[in-house]
Amino acid sequence: MTARLRARIAASLFMLALILIAPAARSLRAQESPATGAIVARALDAESAGRNREAIGSWRAAIAAGAVVPGVLGLERVFSVLAQEESLLVALDTLVPQHPREWQIRSVQLRVLTTIGLDGRAARAFTEWRDLAPTEVAPYREYARVLLFNNRAAAADTVLRQASEALGSTRALVLEIAQMRAGLGLWGAAAEAWRDVMLEEPYYESATVWSLTPAPAESRDAVRNVLGARGVPLGATQALALLEVAWNSPRNGWTALGALAPSDTVVAIWRLFADEVERVRAWSTARDALAAIHASRPDAGVALRGAQAALAAADPVTALALARSAAPMLDEARRNADALPIELDALARLGRAAEAEALLVRSAPALGADGVRSHARTIAWAWIRAGDIPRARRALADAPLSAEDAVAGWLALFDGDLVTARSALRNTEVPGQDAVNALALLNRTRLQRSETIGAAFLALARGDSAQASRRFEAAASELPDAASLLLTLAARIETARRNEDRSATLWRRVAAEHAQSGEAPEAHLELARASRRGGDLKGAREHLETLILDYPGSALVPQARRELDALRMGAV
Amino acid sequence: MRWSAVVPMFVAVVGLARAAQAQQLLMPMDDQQASHLKAYGITFGALTDGIRSEWLLNYRGGSFLVPDLPSLRRSAALAGVTFEVVDGARVAQIRKEIADGNMDAVPLEKAPRIAVYTPPDAPPWDDAVTLALAYAGIPYEKIWDDDVLNTDLSKYDWIHLHHEDFTGQQNKLFLGFRDAPWFIQSRDRDLATARRHGLADIPALKKAVADRLRAFVDRGGFLFAMCGATETLELAMGAKLVDIAGPFSDGTPMDPDADAKMDWSRTFAVQGAHLEFAAGVNAMSDIDGHQVNVPSRRQPLGTFTLFGFSAKFDPVATMLVQDHRTVIGDYYGVTTSFVRKVLKPGVTVLAHEEGAPWVKYIHGSYGQGSWTYLGGHDPEDPQHNIGAPPTDLALHPNSPGYRLILNNVLFPAAKKKPLKT
Repeated sequence: MTARLRARIAASLFMLALILIAPAARSLRAQESPATGAIVARALDAESAGRNREAIGSWRAAIAAGAVVPGVLGLERVFSVLAQEESLLVALDTLVPQHPREWQIRSVQLRVLTTIGLDGRAARAFTEWRDLAPTEVAPYREYARVLLFNNRAAAADTVLRQASEALGSTRALVLEIAQMRAGLGLWGAAAEAWRDVMLEEPYYESATVWSLTPAPAESRDAVRNVLGARGVPLGATQALALLEVAWNSPRNGWTALGALAPSDTVVAIWRLFADEVERVRAWSTARDALAAIHASRPDAGVALRGAQAALAAADPVTALALARSAAPMLDEARRNADALPIELDALARLGRAAEAEALLVRSAPALGADGVRSHARTIAWAWIRAGDIPRARRALADAPLSAEDAVAGWLALFDGDLVTARSALRNTEVPGQDAVNALALLNRTRLQRSETIGAAFLALARGDSAQASRRFEAAASELPDAASLLLTLAARIETARRNEDRSATLWRRVAAEHAQSGEAPEAHLELARASRRGGDLKGAREHLETLILDYPGSALVPQARRELDALRMGAV
Repeated sequence: MRWSAVVPMFVAVVGLARAAQAQQLLMPMDDQQASHLKAYGITFGALTDGIRSEWLLNYRGGSFLVPDLPSLRRSAALAGVTFEVVDGARVAQIRKEIADGNMDAVPLEKAPRIAVYTPPDAPPWDDAVTLALAYAGIPYEKIWDDDVLNTDLSKYDWIHLHHEDFTGQQNKLFLGFRDAPWFIQSRDRDLATARRHGLADIPALKKAVADRLRAFVDRGGFLFAMCGATETLELAMGAKLVDIAGPFSDGTPMDPDADAKMDWSRTFAVQGAHLEFAAGVNAMSDIDGHQVNVPSRRQPLGTFTLFGFSAKFDPVATMLVQDHRTVIGDYYGVTTSFVRKVLKPGVTVLAHEEGAPWVKYIHGSYGQGSWTYLGGHDPEDPQHNIGAPPTDLALHPNSPGYRLILNNVLFPAAKKKPLKT
């Protein structure tokens, strides 16, 4: 047995001890003397201190003194740590006949026999116990649990079938049945069983999630069909939502949960779900969950979390709305500290610079001069977004930025100062596509100044894509060392604008004039796609084949093969 | 120029030319191969172009050796197939290695003509074989009932069957899908075909088709079946003179003595199986060990192990099990496996599940031809359900399960060698 498995067993036994120790201790108090209690306490002390030999002696003494169940469980734990489970068999051979209906001792016997590989003896022990108590569920339940723990789902299935035949119902075993079906990979059936468990015990959603998370992608719809059906217990819906998060489809999780009417319980579940999706950084889902919570139980803290999630999800409109709805619920100090920065950030991202500036002016008396200066960068960014560089500079007049600040980098780039831009834009916190493009370009050229480049990026910042494309193309002749990238930037813009003719012209220039550049494979891929869209399948095939054969090291080769296959198989 | 200088130059040029002539491309089929499935397509394409190839059985996972031609290099590069350029000396070394071990080099001569028995409107992803053929770029023709009954099947070397139900009971899908438009459409189509051929109902039509397929094998054809086609073809061939179809398919109940009246001498693989008489039980017989559609009998999936055969003495079986894995995860189908106790004594078991009463992959001869049955529906979709999204083979270019299918496609291309066992 591996150390890992042994550690797993010891941990499980510890969990089991937690469950069992309470009733065991109660029975102990009922029938045992204070002296026995002292022996048990001594044994527990020795066990927790790792003095295993002493613990064994003390647990044996506890059994002799009448604390049979705690003693046997204690010995099982200690022997498991020592990898000497078989040492317990002698004691069990004596104790089981003395306490034939004591389910905890019987369970230990089944666990020990199975752990050390005496499967035949374990099966006989189960049969003996079952025959002694033919109407009781415990023998079936305990043996099935042991088998499931040892990854023998098929054998557990047999035991549970016997239980069904003998008892007429497996209602008391529904938990084991759920685990068994999951172990067998019968995911839909396992989901049904877990749903039934939660009809009685709604708090099993975590166990359900743990059990069904391993379901492979192709079987997940079966689980969804069961747990997402109408009329299932709330726990089942919650489990499905958490499963969707675990399966990397948190949006589906919120679709299931968001459809529920917002009672107190449902909102509590939404809160747990929001915590979970925030943890996995599923920001758009977190935004929706937090917005829904705030809508049904208005809470400024939740609204601000939702606004932050919306910003992270690149949704400044919702962020602004949530921050504004939170603001009236906050005192002035918190409003300025928590809501105002979000509101300003959202306005800046939306390019609503005048509004942002006005808001800051309104808040200035409470913020003070230092407070206003702390937001100058956001205001400057808002003006950059709006394409008004002089006002961006004015916004920074009282709060000069360090030369290494990303905002200073953008201002320098718009001015055509490529040296400052090259140095400062490296400090962009979360680089967007524009920043990535700018950095890629600045790393490709040694030029120190270029007004054309600055004007192109400024046009991009203003959202004037047609102007930006023309300026990038014009800059290609000015910067021969970065010409392929500049043409590619122009071509990407035209592709996004669905301007097929102009994008094809630009991509063809990249492929023909810069065949050795890193952008050439992308040009061939885009030309293939354009050809396919235009119905020229032969042309599409030729471009894909060129990409694969002439640029075998390109990261786009697997994609080109996929698209070539799709062409051949007529899937497009 | 002096002769003393010319002669060594001439010798060198001739030597280089010979070396270049002897240079070949080795497509390894072990873990070095980036795209196992497409390597079959490249080899098949070479055969189609009249280029002789070799299948190096048990050598690096069952590698392929083809001449070093620009067209083949290009095709392999486009498909992402790994190849190694081997010169004459290296080829000789490989041949020695093959001669010394349980390996063999089988010449592949001619691309087999392939037909797939599938409804005319079925998409390629309805069937693992058409999926594999399309992905590997291997051409095939589709045939359906009219083609089987009206045309000379001997023009094909290889016919594949998948999950069609030759008992005519449409896989008993009547139980769950009787109102589904696609079910109604396929039933009406088959009924119209039956009437066109003067047959009373769908079971009669499918029996006639099964009989033609039996004759195709008897006269030297290769037949490869998967999923439910395996079991139902056996039942349809054995039930030539007995009604084994439920009343929902032909309006009459099954013959109560059908079990006893089955003529197992007409079947390829099975004898003494018992038919399923209950119309409400979605199983045809006890041939399948897994019974996936009968919840109370369904058996869990395990793994199956490919047997190793002597490449020099049993090349056919060896070809069929060439793979870079010997233990493969199992997958369900209408028929997932074949219970060992109903197999005829002459059947060769190619893969089995350790300790289980069933086997997965079987092969045998019948008349002048041969047949192979592989249980299950889709090797990369273990729990396949009706309506499940199609498997994207681009995500499984090294699928060991799909290799078994493509072994069957290529094996009729092998130059006939008399079996030594």
